[in-house]
Amino acid sequence: MNRLMAMAAALLMVGAAAPQGGAKTDPVTGEQAEAKPKEAKPAEPAPAAAAEPKKEEAAAAPAPAEPQKIDPKSFDRALESYFLGYPKEAAGLLFAYTEGMPQTDENYAWAQFFLAKSLIDLGLKHSGGVYLARIARERSNPAVLPKAMEELRALTDIPHDEVMIDEQVFGALDLGFLPEEIAGYAHYQQGLVDLRVGNERWATTHFSKLTEGSAEASRAKYAMLVTRLKTSKKEAPKEMIDQFLELSEDEKLTQEARNDAMLAVARLRYEQRDYKGALEAYGLVKLPELDPGRATLYLEEAWVRYQLGEIHAAMGILTTLDAPSFRDEFLPDKYLLRAFIYRDLCHYLPAKRAAKELTRKYAESLDAIREREDLTKDARLRRAASAKGPAKRARKFLESLELEGEKLGKFAGAFGDRMFSYMTRLYDLARAEATRVYQERLRDATRAEADKLLRAAEQVRLMEYEVGLKLYERVKKGSKLVRDLEEEKLKDGQIAFRFKDEYWNDELRDYRFSLKSRCIEESAQ
Amino acid sequence: MNKLSLIVVLLAAFVLTPGAALAQSELENPGSVSAIQERAFRMSTEFNLAIGVLPLDAFTKQVYGQVSFVYHFTDYFAWQVGRGAYGYNWSTGLKAQLEKDYGVLPTTIDVIQFFVGSDLMFSPFYGKAAILNRAVIYYEAYLLVGVSVFKYTNAFRPAANIGGGIRIFQNKYVSYRLEVTDNIVIKERPEQVMQINLMLALNFGS
Repeated sequence: MNRLMAMAAALLMVGAAAPQGGAKTDPVTGEQAEAKPKEAKPAEPAPAAAAEPKKEEAAAAPAPAEPQKIDPKSFDRALESYFLGYPKEAAGLLFAYTEGMPQTDENYAWAQFFLAKSLIDLGLKHSGGVYLARIARERSNPAVLPKAMEELRALTDIPHDEVMIDEQVFGALDLGFLPEEIAGYAHYQQGLVDLRVGNERWATTHFSKLTEGSAEASRAKYAMLVTRLKTSKKEAPKEMIDQFLELSEDEKLTQEARNDAMLAVARLRYEQRDYKGALEAYGLVKLPELDPGRATLYLEEAWVRYQLGEIHAAMGILTTLDAPSFRDEFLPDKYLLRAFIYRDLCHYLPAKRAAKELTRKYAESLDAIREREDLTKDARLRRAASAKGPAKRARKFLESLELEGEKLGKFAGAFGDRMFSYMTRLYDLARAEATRVYQERLRDATRAEADKLLRAAEQVRLMEYEVGLKLYERVKKGSKLVRDLEEEKLKDGQIAFRFKDEYWNDELRDYRFSLKSRCIEESAQ
Repeated sequence: MNKLSLIVVLLAAFVLTPGAALAQSELENPGSVSAIQERAFRMSTEFNLAIGVLPLDAFTKQVYGQVSFVYHFTDYFAWQVGRGAYGYNWSTGLKAQLEKDYGVLPTTIDVIQFFVGSDLMFSPFYGKAAILNRAVIYYEAYLLVGVSVFKYTNAFRPAANIGGGIRIFQNKYVSYRLEVTDNIVIKERPEQVMQINLMLALNFGS
């Protein structure tokens, strides 16, 4: 909104919200408001208004005191400050207003709303969300509610308190009175909550109310498919693959969601041993230019190529996974696949070494598992666990709270003691709860990663045994080397850059390995 | 052990150690890895506009404009079918001094007016470079060998030329070439004519 518009809106709000002098009006829509020209300058908090919170503090700090009367005009001044682009001043005034006025005050909900907006503008998004969630729960003013819900909806795009916003607000909302867009999102969230607790029928009821063709409808389809896939005991039917494929082309989904759908297609095809189809699907995952990509995507593609017999290309991808961008990734399978490839080319010592590399690299984690230590303390497992899924979301939210907590310190002077101590307490509590949630999710996720590691370690032992046998196998008389697997020749228009330990992001998907087989024919006498 | 034996042993150790280390590394990590990529830019039929200078002549300097046409048979080999340049000359102080102090006739000093030629181009180098880790530019370097005919003030003279240049690609259609060519003009006492060209290359049909 440009400055003129902001002024006009501010004046409308001020006029509308003023309790004296005429009919009460909606402070945001400004209906029946009289335009009162005022000079565009930040509103100075009235000395009386500024002094009052300080007086209140002594009384209010020990115990929640009776709401004290404050100057009703401070609301007008706060709005003026907000619309003139001074959220810091506005926040202080609005906080004093919400603390000092009873909840039955007609501007109370608006004060909460603009306090939330001011806090969000100041980068204190969580505290803004707290006030918006409060409006949604109290529902004291039906005009404010849809706007608060819209703001809350926007907050869900960034790390946020999932319990407070997704579950307690959108997941538990009476949907009759909301505008279509917000109601759609609320239906989607409520459907998700139902899906999580395993009630697909109720989820379908919510999802069926979504407007066909909306972004929420596409996301709901994706959520339903994923849930069915998780619960399906048999092999996924072909229709499910087609549905995922359809979603991967749905422009209403984010690119990340489309990529996830395409990955699901690739994985399902792999399970059905349609390796060519899987490879095609992996190739259709779109990454931004020069993006290093996702390690799991590369590893899965390497397995597909291995299954297709393209072992040189598979090994090329494993080279990619040694790139600095992926060095911290938790990919125990990487070492196994490398060992398989060396074994298939009858390079047994490198195969053994590649397999043992896994136990060497993850020695500390394996020890921690064997000693039954707290796995969340293991740096590798913790990093792997918190890199995806619910644990990642919890970590991101915790990090955002830490940042906002630090940012809050900058406003100590502007907010005043009362508001600052209230906000500090709010962030302390949120941080404590977020830490608890993160630890809980981390525990589950580290256990899953530890299982993965143990399975890989078991495979290493098998590989070592197999390679040991092969190493000491007698070479029969008249043995000949088997014909080499044909390496793909360079085509017209292709160029080869020999790899010299320097990784280029644009080359990460193009590495090709070259190694002659040392296998001998089994048929020799 | 006498001195000679010691020297032989040390020499053998010096020669064999890197080989043994290499063999060990090959045993541990056998095979080689290359990044195989589609060439980002390929040339096909190229039309060039150039400006250039002939900097070597001590009596006359020339700036010229040149047009040329190149056909690329492969990514490595091309034929610059024809090029023609017409120049603007200006005398250096030396020429005026010779005329004034020694009475040399102005017509005695031959000046290049225009020239034409044809070349074969070989481009074995193709690469990419990172600019401050923010962007990647693609380039190729080439060698060329060809023949030219120079029109001097008083005569046409043939020449053989050899040179090299670098091409930086802007996109599929536009690239820039900077090249240096040395012409050996065939006459009683062969003389060198060096050209420096800066070219705008327009690529069609790739």
